This record gives sequence, C-alpha cells and structure tokens, in this order.
Amino acid sequence: MKYVLRRILLGIPTVLIVLTVVFVVARVLSGDPALAVLGESASAEALAALRRQLGLDRPLLVQYVDFIWGTLRGNFGTSLVSGAPVVSTILNAFPYTLQLTFAGVAVGSLLGIPLGVMAAVRRNGALDYFLRTVSLTGLSVPAFYSALLLLLLFAVQFPLFRVIGDPSGLSFWGQARALVLPALNLGIIMTGFIARATRAAVLDVLGEDYVRTATAKGLRPAVVLFRHALRNALIPVVTVIGLYTGELMGSSVLTEVVFNRPGLGKLIVGAMNQRDYNLLQTLIALFAMLIVLANLLTDLAYGLIDPRVRYE
Amino acid sequence: MRTIGRGVLVFLLLLALMPSRPARAADKVLRVGVNDADIATLDPDRGVQTSDMHIMGSMFNGLVRLPPGEVNLDRLEPDLAERWQVSPDGRDYTFFLRKGVQFHRNYGEMTAEDVVYSLKRAADKNRSNFFKTFGAIESVMATDRYTVKIRLESFEPSFLGGLIPYRGGQIISKKAGEELGDRFGSNPVGTGPFAFQRYSPKQFVDLRAHKQYFRGTPKLDGVIYRFMPDLSTRELAFDQGELDIIEGIKEQRWVDRMRSKPNTKIDILGPGELTCVFINMDKKPFDDIRVRRALSHAVDRNEMLAVIGKEVATPDYGPLPLGYQGGVDQGLPGYEYNPEKAKTLLKEAKQENLVISVVMSQRSSFVRPMEILQEQFRRVGIDLRINPVDHNAYHAQIRKDVNALVLYIAARFPVADPYLTEFFHSRHIVGTPTAVTNFSHYKGVDAELDQAAHEVDAKKRFAFWRRAQEKIMEDAVAIPLYVLKAPYVFHSNVDLGYEAKSSLFLGPEYTAATNIR
Repeated sequence: MKYVLRRILLGIPTVLIVLTVVFVVARVLSGDPALAVLGESASAEALAALRRQLGLDRPLLVQYVDFIWGTLRGNFGTSLVSGAPVVSTILNAFPYTLQLTFAGVAVGSLLGIPLGVMAAVRRNGALDYFLRTVSLTGLSVPAFYSALLLLLLFAVQFPLFRVIGDPSGLSFWGQARALVLPALNLGIIMTGFIARATRAAVLDVLGEDYVRTATAKGLRPAVVLFRHALRNALIPVVTVIGLYTGELMGSSVLTEVVFNRPGLGKLIVGAMNQRDYNLLQTLIALFAMLIVLANLLTDLAYGLIDPRVRYE
Repeated sequence: MRTIGRGVLVFLLLLALMPSRPARAADKVLRVGVNDADIATLDPDRGVQTSDMHIMGSMFNGLVRLPPGEVNLDRLEPDLAERWQVSPDGRDYTFFLRKGVQFHRNYGEMTAEDVVYSLKRAADKNRSNFFKTFGAIESVMATDRYTVKIRLESFEPSFLGGLIPYRGGQIISKKAGEELGDRFGSNPVGTGPFAFQRYSPKQFVDLRAHKQYFRGTPKLDGVIYRFMPDLSTRELAFDQGELDIIEGIKEQRWVDRMRSKPNTKIDILGPGELTCVFINMDKKPFDDIRVRRALSHAVDRNEMLAVIGKEVATPDYGPLPLGYQGGVDQGLPGYEYNPEKAKTLLKEAKQENLVISVVMSQRSSFVRPMEILQEQFRRVGIDLRINPVDHNAYHAQIRKDVNALVLYIAARFPVADPYLTEFFHSRHIVGTPTAVTNFSHYKGVDAELDQAAHEVDAKKRFAFWRRAQEKIMEDAVAIPLYVLKAPYVFHSNVDLGYEAKSSLFLGPEYTAATNIR
C-alpha cells in the first residue's frame, strides 16, 4: 500500500512536467483558437475581441500560472471553441475509449500469447515462420488500412456488422456488437506486439536450467510449459502489454474515425486542429496520468504472476 | 486455448446475429454523411463552417428567402414576411409578417418581437459574427404584433438580400434566445421544416420534422447528419445503404467513379468558392507591377483544371466568384498564359532567379493548386518553395503577413460589395487594426467601392463595381484561378423536392417537400 502511494506521489512531478511541456508546445505552434470559433472571414477586431474574452491576450506566464493553479484545484475550465466544460466533454467520450482499449488488449492477449507460445515451442518450424510473418504484418499495417479491410470483409462482403459503428445510445448488446470490429482492429496490432514478446520470452525461459530439471523429472511437456515456463515468461509479456496499452489509447484515433466511434483520440486531434488549449492540456494531462497508472498496474501485476517479486 | 478460441468465435457469431438497432420502420429519416469532424455551433449569428451552415439551412427562415436550390438575388421571395414596402429613398422598410407561424419545441408563435430581437442580436458586435451586414440599421421596431419597421442610416443596396436565412438573417425565438443565452448554439430554436433534437459532439446532429411548419408538415420524419471526415467510410456506408446522401470531394475522378454506380445521382452545387492567389504588393519585388504580371502570365488555368476537374471547377478570370450580382464574369483585362512574356517581364524587372517561399495549409484543396503553380512557375524560372503547415496555423500566419503569396478559398454573400471590400479595400489591409482579408495590401479601388456602397442608382453602382474589378486586374494584385463547386451524392430514391443547382448553405437544403421514396 505504501508502495502504491509512493508511486502515485512520484507520478505527480511527471504529470506536471508533461503539463508544462504541453503548455509550451501548444503555444509555440502558430495558431489561433479565435479563428476556429469565428471562421476565416472574421475581422481582426472580432478576433482580437474574442482572444481578449478568452483571456488569450494575457502574458504567457500569467496564463501558465492560471492553468497550473486551475489544474491543481481540479478546475479545468471550458473548451475555448464549444464553450462546454472540459471535464464533461472528456467524460462523455472516455467510456468508449476505455471499452475500446480494454477490448483491444483482450483480443491482443487472447490471440497473441497462445500464438507466441506455439511459435516458441515449434521454433523455426513452418508455424513459427508463418506466425512471425503474420505478426510483423500486423505491426506494419496502418490502423486505418486494416480498419477499412475489416469493414470491407465484415460489413460489405459478409454484412455481419454495420459500417457506421457508432455505439452511442445503444443497448449493452448493441454497444458490444459495435465494439467487435474496432476491437479486432486494435487487437490485431496488439497481437503482433504480444506474440513477438511472448515468443522471445518463452524461448528464453525454455533454455533455463530449471526447465531442463523439470523435464528431467519426467514431467509431461505440457506441464513443463504451462506450469513452469510460461509463468516466468509472462513477466516481460505483461510489461509489453502495459506499455502498449497507453500507446493504444492515444493511437486509437484512426480506428475511431473509420468506425465512427466517439472517443478521446478524436477529441485530442480536434483540440489540436482548433488550438483548443484548455481541452488539449486537460486531455494530455489525463493521458499522462493514465500512463503513470498503467505502469503502476503493470508493476503490481508482476507480484501476481511471480510471488517472489517484492515491492519496496 | 482451443475452448477460449471457440468461445470467442461463438460470441462473435452471437453478436453478429443480434439486431443492430431497434427497427422503427415507421420512421422516415434522411441520413446524411458530412465531411467535417464536427460543427462549431448552430447559432445562426455565429456559425460559418460548412457543416454549421448546411445543418442550419433546414432549421431557420428569414424575412425573405431565395427559392430552394437557386442563388439569384433577383429572385428574392417572401419567407416569414408576407410582403414588404420600401420608401422611395430606400431607407425605410415595412415588413408584414405571416400569421400563425410556430417556433420549434413549443416556443410559441413567431411575432414582430422575435424579428426585432433577432435583427438586434445579429447587429450586436458581442453576439454576432455578421454585425457588419446589419450595421446600416438605425432602428428596428414592432409597430404591432405582425408588423416590423426598419429604418436605415443611409441607403444600403443589398440590405434586403441580407435578410435571407443566411449569416445572421435567420429569425430566432426571442424567448429561447433570452432563456438559453450562450447555449443557444447547442439548443437552437427556429421556425424551419426541421427542429433541433439532439447533438452528439463529433458524432451526429439529429433533427426532427417540425409538424406545424407553415409550409406544411414535412414528408420526412427527420434528418440525421453524421460527421464522417473519412471519405472511404462515408462511401462504404453509402454503398451499404446506411446513408442516403454523402458530401463528396471536389475531385473529378471521384465524381466520375460515383456516377458509374447504380441507383446513384450527383448534384454539383454552386455558386462555389473562388480559389485565388493574392500578391502582397508591399513586399519586394512584388511592388513591381512587371513581376506581378509575370506571375499572372505564368499561370495556365486549363492545365490546372485538367487536374482539378472540369465539373467541380470552373476557371475564373475576375476577382469575384462567378455569378455574383455586380460581378463581371467576362471581358475584364486579363493575362493569357504566356510563359515567354512572363520571362521577358521578369528579365526587365531583373528578377530572373526569383525565389518565393511560402507557408501553405496542408489541406489538399490548398496544396494541390499550389503544387501545380510551383511547376508552372518553374517553367518561367521562378522557384516556389512550399512549407506545409496545418490549416489553423496557416490562417494565423497569413494574418501576420508571413507570405508574399496567399492562396485563399472563399465565398461571400453573392453581391460584389462584401467580397470586393473585404479583399481589396485599404481599410481591410492585413496587419492593421481594421484588417479583414486584404492580403494584397491594395489601395487602388477605395474610391470606387465607397461610392458604390451608397449609390442609390443600380446602374451607376454596377459601373463603379465594374471599374473596381477592372483596376484590380490591371494592377495584377490577385490571380483568380477557379471556382470550386460542391458535389453531393444521393441514392436515387431521395427526392429533394426541388432542383438543386446552387445553395448558399454549402449543402442541399432539406425542405417540407423532401422525401425518400
């Protein structure tokens, strides 16, 4: 518990640094939120008036202090463009991103770990080469391309799903159904990462003395593999899953656009394009916190897999 | 492992078999896929984005309107006003309102008070982007429940046109406006055939039929606009029958391909936006007219259109988008494509090795013509260097005069005045406090534009505008390229109820007569 608390406290400076970087980068980029609101035909007077109203004409340092102070008190302000509170805007989209991320990680793990194990056991066999090629393809295909292929296959060729996979306002089952293709899409990418990590880890462990001992004791190969080898091999695999979960959340934007899902990815790209500083900064802060959290959960998962791991 | 795999498979199959949406066969909802990622607002005094205007086009009425599908200011017709009178000096307008018009969502009958409120709001600097359009109003008042009197400070030629339901001319409910304040843009209340129902940010806007619409109950039950900025998905969803109408892209190849599909029709909507290059004459060497003329002679519009597309783009040789009232579409002084002449002019100006470096929006509608220009300029010895930036940054940068050449794509109210004034009057030179979009820093037509603005006699007014357009071309401060129109693709069972040639709303208007057969 003490360990968890310390890790969370250690995360705070990380988040603050990220916030500062975001603040600076967002303003170094040329651009103007007033243009996003008033449009390209707006006069200089109208633009200046709106910037004043939004407080963007104040010195940067004042804006920065204001922003950090607001964030510390949990006051994230309103979107510069839509005027809606930033927190509610994010909360509306967040559940869909969580659904998608977890479903993507689940698909990736369910496919990736068994595939990786099989590839390791049949090392250099036909299956191994096949899986290595497939997982490499999974890693290299851009998300929007694989998303379109999935749509062509499962919404056009075999129309099992709808092209417009907007889950908002649907029942639980409707939402689950709308999740299948997007989750498969992210899952394919995750499968590539996880299968490769699993294969490497299992191969490592299979060469260890204690595995040879277990085999020498006369245990069945399956028992050796699942009870002895896999358990240890999973630690690096869990690290990979943890690392890429954060990345998955951020990179799901193309998946969201192609499948018409609401989500944080779309929000962050929109905020960037419109220079909606308040929304952008809060989103980045949220991502930073989530990644800190994901890393913490990963570390905690080590203990579950390997009871010898101690936290200090 | 095998059991898990089998479980996943069974789960997938089960999901596939579930009914995807509660089927409401009775609902006749038109499903539209638009190209934008979101709206900015549905406040008629604020919205300028394509999707804002497209959606608002079916929600509001003005005092007068253009016939659906047409943009011709000579054909203004009654909308919320049954009839009107204008005093001989053109300063006093009296509008007699239609009786019994109902606002959406039980906001009651539209009366003279709502009209007064709407026009005052549209003229208010703090609540409206379009306050300038209504700047001539001296007073506006309700003389009885159904009569509105407007007095202008001075004669304003296109005042009546400004009262169509477009950029501030929409009549909104006073009660709703006061109740909702700044939130009106996400809960708009008008009198049009479709009423606002629901908005899901970055997903859709849902409109329902306004049963008490004064031109009759709409045949459709509603219209849903989906934000789908990815063209491939928009097209797939259209092909699968999940959308009835999609916004296209302004490329001929795409239009041709869509046309070859069965049960599909295409409307390419005017009046279109002008793609134009403005030359900053305060930057050297563009203060030299020979250099500006050389650039103009270096441009081959035919070659450009072969790439952009004949149906979606029409070449334009004057400083106004085609078809504007007071615009001269043919016969202005011009610069034929003549690379040799361009080279000679550059030589005379001692600019044989001219290098021009510009930032440019990375949107394809900006980058594509710019790349063609790059190639055409190269042939006359000009090295045009393009640094792509994102769209918002581009607009911020050109307002700081970073570029000597500014590519701009724009349409305004289809009369000569607003466009010419915003782009060529010295009052609106970029970098000054009263700047709008005079990127050329041009000062040559102030007299003509000022005189035209207050000329009561239409013939004389048109003559001033003509002279202004001639001077702009003679001085070569801008290179007009082409007017881009907007393709929309329909399933053939969609009947708009009118012929769609043009729309100020940048998208088709859905009326009471619009139907799905």
